[in-house]
Amino acid sequence: MTKAAKTFALTASLLLTLAATAQQRSSAPKNAVAPTAAIDPSKPIAITGGKLLTMTHGTIENGVLVIENGKIAAVGAAGSVHVPAGAQVVDAKGMTVYPGLIDSETHLGLTEINAEKNTNDLVEPSDEIMPHMHVADAFHAETALIPVARYNGITNAIVAPDSKDTLPGQDSFIQLAGADATQMLLVRDIAMPLNFTGKQRRNETFATAQYPQTRMGMAAQMRQAFTDAQGYAAKWDEYNKKKAAAKAGDAPPTAPAHDLKLEALLPYLEGKKPVIVKAEEPSDVETAYALGQEFKLHMVLNGLTQSQGIYDKIAQWKLPVIVGSIYDAPKEWARYDSVYKMPGELAKRGVKIAFASFDAHQVRNLPYAAGMAVAFGLLQDEAMKALTLYPAQIWGVDDQLGSLDVGKTANVVVANGDPLDVKTEVKHVFIQGREIPLVNRQTELRDRYQGKP
Amino acid sequence: MKKNDGAARRWPWLLGYAIVLAGSACAAAQQPADFSATHSGHNEFVIKNATLLTATHGRVEHGSIYVKDGKIAAFGASVAAPATAPVIDAEGKYVTPGIIDSHSHMALDDDINEATSPVVPQMMMKDAFDYNDKAIYRALAGGVTSSLLLHGSADMIGGQAVVIKTKYGLDRDQMLFPGAPQSIKFASGENPKRVFGDKKQLPSTRMGNFEVMREAFTQAKDYQRGWDEYNEKVKRGDKTATAPKKDLKLEALSQVMQGKMLVQIHCYRSDEMLTEIAIANEFGYKIRAFHHALEAYKVPDALAKNDIAIATFADWWGYKYEAWDAIPWNAAIAMQHGVKVAIKSDSDDFMRRLNQEAGKTMRYGGVSEDEAIKMLTINPAWIVGVDDKTGSIDVGKDADLVLWEGYPLSSFGVPQKVWIDGDVYFNRGLAGLGMPQYQEGQ
Repeated sequence: MTKAAKTFALTASLLLTLAATAQQRSSAPKNAVAPTAAIDPSKPIAITGGKLLTMTHGTIENGVLVIENGKIAAVGAAGSVHVPAGAQVVDAKGMTVYPGLIDSETHLGLTEINAEKNTNDLVEPSDEIMPHMHVADAFHAETALIPVARYNGITNAIVAPDSKDTLPGQDSFIQLAGADATQMLLVRDIAMPLNFTGKQRRNETFATAQYPQTRMGMAAQMRQAFTDAQGYAAKWDEYNKKKAAAKAGDAPPTAPAHDLKLEALLPYLEGKKPVIVKAEEPSDVETAYALGQEFKLHMVLNGLTQSQGIYDKIAQWKLPVIVGSIYDAPKEWARYDSVYKMPGELAKRGVKIAFASFDAHQVRNLPYAAGMAVAFGLLQDEAMKALTLYPAQIWGVDDQLGSLDVGKTANVVVANGDPLDVKTEVKHVFIQGREIPLVNRQTELRDRYQGKP
Repeated sequence: MKKNDGAARRWPWLLGYAIVLAGSACAAAQQPADFSATHSGHNEFVIKNATLLTATHGRVEHGSIYVKDGKIAAFGASVAAPATAPVIDAEGKYVTPGIIDSHSHMALDDDINEATSPVVPQMMMKDAFDYNDKAIYRALAGGVTSSLLLHGSADMIGGQAVVIKTKYGLDRDQMLFPGAPQSIKFASGENPKRVFGDKKQLPSTRMGNFEVMREAFTQAKDYQRGWDEYNEKVKRGDKTATAPKKDLKLEALSQVMQGKMLVQIHCYRSDEMLTEIAIANEFGYKIRAFHHALEAYKVPDALAKNDIAIATFADWWGYKYEAWDAIPWNAAIAMQHGVKVAIKSDSDDFMRRLNQEAGKTMRYGGVSEDEAIKMLTINPAWIVGVDDKTGSIDVGKDADLVLWEGYPLSSFGVPQKVWIDGDVYFNRGLAGLGMPQYQEGQ
């Protein structure tokens, strides 16, 4: 782990702890969650008899997991774990127990109905360089989409702006339950997307084209923005030096004007937070990577769906990759499964991968993409880690999330089969040790109309 | 695939795969090398030891299928076949009927909507059918053997569909499904009202939508009467009779009212389904299926009573307001009320993994394996009107079959071979694109 990444991870975990504390102080969560009658989160909970997929220390058949005060208090084989007196027992015999799934790119809370403009806050398209946009400012905690996502065991997610801009703003890392946006936004401005797929060009027609009309334009524009931010930082450094050196009685130095856009880029230029570099074609991947190198950005790669030819090279970069979407169509000349195989091919080369739904309504289908990747060569265990431990590491929250380990936040899912299979039903979801009622707008509609004579 | 020490561990299915290849090697050897002969429709072979998911006879463990002359000649726990017939040992694998996608817009080169008028029944999708589109190959590799290529939903009354078999590599006419009845696409709701409303034309509301439809059918009735009167005069020997002008648009609607076309209606909201049924009754035609039909769960009995099937998504929702009440239990609830349900793609993406989509109905609503398989095969075949020819493992039916590694109704089922009319069109074990009937640059 680089120094920058460590700093980042520390900051993130501190924020997480703060958020967790806030949660414990609060009364029952609202949006998303009506308090469940069955299980009292203030008393210990023991999930017994299930197959525990711990992610860090293998699979435990007939395991026991104890939750206390919102944390995982004990994990182990039956008999080896002390179940506190008065613990509420969740019988998980025949079930699979695993950490809450983490979706590494969603638009949760930024959209309700795609085609209804007023329900969308996905991206600010007036300019391409918009690092001062914060999805946290738009995040709609009461969205009907979050309870639908939780229904399939997704407990945490990155919320990212749409990728129409090269630098569309800053992502937040959320928990899919909480009293309000403050509690659900675990880490604001956790990372910044840098999109270089070609779709950011403003080249609809020659008559209506605007800068940047080309990839050259996109790169030049970003290069200028990062250069401006460096200049901005230098000006402030100079000012701060002058101010520190100023003796009593000296005329105070004049402070530079603030510029929120450039200021937003500074943590990324300092390598304190990751830049999520999205590209698909080999040429775009290499251009974007070179740009990141030029400004010494702490990069995470994203996409890569058409980059089969440079997997070996990508592996040498030793960067984590958010894979996909594996449902992207292959090139005309390519074999039908060239994109399906990507997660397996990258993992085989030692690349740390994470899955994402790249969606809002279909976040619930996140585990199935991983399942399909398994059908096309990814190891099952790697696939599970790419939904839990690896994203927790990539987002710097692995001290709190991503595995069934003592001391971690009790985001735990109990399901009746393989978490990656479309047939599997999630039976219990715990977020911060609270059982989340598996109720959403869709179950309510189902119940209403099924009850009809 | 490069040799790799870890290959067996990472791709355990490859080991099983070698068995299939070995088993089918002789079958491949039997096929003449000459391209034109490989899709002769005269192959003869036996698949044995497979788990058959038949769609019409449930599951057969360790089952066999005997294919001859493009048809299923026998199937069951054992089959009587000549000793000379090549044998494919499918131990540990599954065989299903080929998937029928009852709602697709692939291979139309984006010529999906003639949106210059809300009533265009004279459009023939066959005229836009781009048989070279690689999308067909990708559908085939996902186990799809037949597709209904529909006009889009911009118009209240769209064009006439084309039914294809996904015989990628063959020429256009060889891909058309022989004897498939003519379907026509209708739409309703947000799309027509948006498309024409944005142009400040009628329709821009649901009132307008249905008025446009009634108007068209009323004209078609007058047109039909004009021809009836003319034919009557001719029959009486009236030499002064002049034939009315042939109008292809009204002619097509007239055929709809005569029951000569299967009416496929894009319809989301339950109230619109009821209105569509009323209009169909008013003008005397039957609705074959509602497509998308995301609110079918609100009015399943009305659909069942009128023998209207649905071609729906497993769990798509929220992309537009009329999809806001979509629930993933839609398919299961409709089925439980006696509605024939098909899971369809409406997407060049989903058509590649319809098996997983059908698997979701087992998770949402506890649909049985048998019913989930039907939603991919015999039910969509009924919607398309080819259920007497394909869509199940039955003696005499076209040998449209998929050999699966992994349970098909799961995240992990992967087609290994796809036969259409008894010929292999996709073989995952082959290098390159995996198509014995096609070479790049062909």
